[in-house]
Amino acid sequence: MEEKKPTPGAPTAAAAAMPAENPYTQWYEVKPGDTLWKIAKQHYGDGSLYPEIFKANQDVLTDPDKIKVGQKLRLP
Amino acid sequence: MKPRSLFTGFLSMAFAALLLAGCANQMEPAKKAIADIEAAIAAAPDAAQYIPDQLGGVTQKLADLKAKFDQKDYKGVIAAAPALLTEAQGLAGAAASAREAAEAAKAAALEALGAEWSSLSAALPAQVAALESRVNVLSKSKKLPANLDQATFDSVKTGLTDAKALWDQATAAQAAGNVEAAVTAARQVKEKADAAMAALGMTAG
Repeated sequence: MEEKKPTPGAPTAAAAAMPAENPYTQWYEVKPGDTLWKIAKQHYGDGSLYPEIFKANQDVLTDPDKIKVGQKLRLP
Repeated sequence: MKPRSLFTGFLSMAFAALLLAGCANQMEPAKKAIADIEAAIAAAPDAAQYIPDQLGGVTQKLADLKAKFDQKDYKGVIAAAPALLTEAQGLAGAAASAREAAEAAKAAALEALGAEWSSLSAALPAQVAALESRVNVLSKSKKLPANLDQATFDSVKTGLTDAKALWDQATAAQAAGNVEAAVTAARQVKEKADAAMAALGMTAG
């Protein structure tokens, strides 16, 4: 039986199943020297809240200590 | 009595009788003309609602006509009646046109409200959710960020609570078919959510 090839550029079933991003989501672009602690401190006033940012970005982060410059992170 | 003066007296009486008869002859047509005008006005029951000024003009002229009738100026009534009858007969058509225009305007306003509701109902839950998420995180903070003082944060929390209650009202009104009330409440939600987002330094989506 021939397998159906996905059409290039067409949304995959997985992508279609993903919930749409909230258009009011707040984003932050990682700068040199940033850590999740620093970002949490800057936006929430309390660095210890960095797990909130990590949890909101688990689709792009696997380790809270490993963020990349230029990465766009959700700020819940 | 001389025959000449007898003749003159007879002539005067005859003239007076003719005059009276003439008046009596004109009274009934004048009465009917007024009744016809009244009937034409009664045939336009929507006129008071949709064309009150036009109706007011006609009823004023009818009152003038009735005053003429009371003064026994039947000739004057009969002379003025046809034009007023035409005017009165035009009331029904004018009221119908005005009613159609009013209904069309109402339908257009309802359509605009429906479109506004669609737009607000698509955006507001997401906006409120984003706000709530930020407020929840900030509520766990031991110290608020530099650009946010406690009083402002407290007012944001109150605004969010109000916005959520208003959103419940809006959706209930929409479910009950009251789009106008739904949109009014939703606009207030938007106002409160926008103010809260601005206070927290959040940007609109």
